[in-house]
Amino acid sequence: MKSFAYYPGCTLYTKSRNLDICARESAKILGVELKELETWNCCGAIFSTVQDDIANQIAPIRNLKEAQKISNELVTLCAACYNVLKRSNYYLYKEGNEIYRRRLINYLDEEYDGETKVLHFLEILKNQIGYNAVKSHVKKSLNGLKVACYYGCLMLRPSAEINFDDPDNPMIMDELFLALGADAVQFPFKSECCGGYVLVNRPEVATKCAEIILESIINAGAECVVTTCPLCQYNIDNQQKYMAKQFNLPIFYFTQLLGLSLGVEEKLLNLDNHYINPKLLLKQKGLII
Amino acid sequence: MNEEIKLKEEIEELSRQRLLDCYQCGECSAGCPTAFAMDIVPSHSIRLLQLGKFNEVLNADNIWLCVACHVCGERCPRGVDYGKIADALRTLILRNKITHLTLEKIDKQFILEAPQQAFIAAFRKFTT
Repeated sequence: MKSFAYYPGCTLYTKSRNLDICARESAKILGVELKELETWNCCGAIFSTVQDDIANQIAPIRNLKEAQKISNELVTLCAACYNVLKRSNYYLYKEGNEIYRRRLINYLDEEYDGETKVLHFLEILKNQIGYNAVKSHVKKSLNGLKVACYYGCLMLRPSAEINFDDPDNPMIMDELFLALGADAVQFPFKSECCGGYVLVNRPEVATKCAEIILESIINAGAECVVTTCPLCQYNIDNQQKYMAKQFNLPIFYFTQLLGLSLGVEEKLLNLDNHYINPKLLLKQKGLII
Repeated sequence: MNEEIKLKEEIEELSRQRLLDCYQCGECSAGCPTAFAMDIVPSHSIRLLQLGKFNEVLNADNIWLCVACHVCGERCPRGVDYGKIADALRTLILRNKITHLTLEKIDKQFILEAPQQAFIAAFRKFTT
């Protein structure tokens, strides 16, 4: 069994347990172990682009260093953690000005060589396990389910630093859902931002951002949405409460539907942790009883 | 005048962007997901900064509406990332100990419901 160092991050330990548990269970079925770091701290949730703001780079770099006790490849699931960890590594060893780099290194407890490679779980599924192998483990095909794969901003941009997938038309999640038998609906707002943390200071603006995305998804004919980011999930699920139009669109983490398809027990999918109840749709499709 | 040159240099140093690179095509404002709510849109902000009208931009609402999604920088034909400029402008204000967000302003129920990722990010971007 191949094992990877795994960094869950703060939100996956509390509000988004389902994103985390479903991934661990799915990985087990696929013969991969996600080995959680022995100690880790919050990555900071948002990358600071300010050149001299080295204090905000220390937390993510410590996690990257810690990962090396297990492996040089660190897997994350949360889009924000992925963005921050990957960009900190880039800042430190590819882009950083020598003066700031040295100052940052002076703050670290131990030397770090920049060698930890940050990977998203989707990259493990596609490149290390392979979507064909994933397909061979499918117990319940998602056949007939029209899924909109929503990526948001953190997974994709800035593409020069992240280099994950095409920043305007990403397909990595769509390909996964095609392998699981679902119909991956195409819509133009795949990589549009959900309103992010502006939710905290200007919630009405975030609601409007989410509404524009949902409108695009509904018009494309999707029945549900999958995402990789706890904040996207919250914004486009819970914010439906405040929208004039009733979309009634269930919003999943991609790992929930992956787990369902691979035969993970229903109670581990945590289907109650949603604002829009997704059970009705899954029952209709014969995916749960 | 010296003050102005100093401020321009500071913004460019913090953000690693060159203000004069922008030729005002407006791609950033067209792609920005929160532009609909802004008083001054990203391309307009950059123009004001080029002209040395720093206070107009520092007092504008748009720097608190930027979600750091970097659509502006991704689509800019001149490689200017307004998200990074907005981050620098916020930093200039916050380093003067003027905070934008306080805990009391946030609804209690909302604090219980929303993912902590949102709060950590907002407090990092909006508080001193």
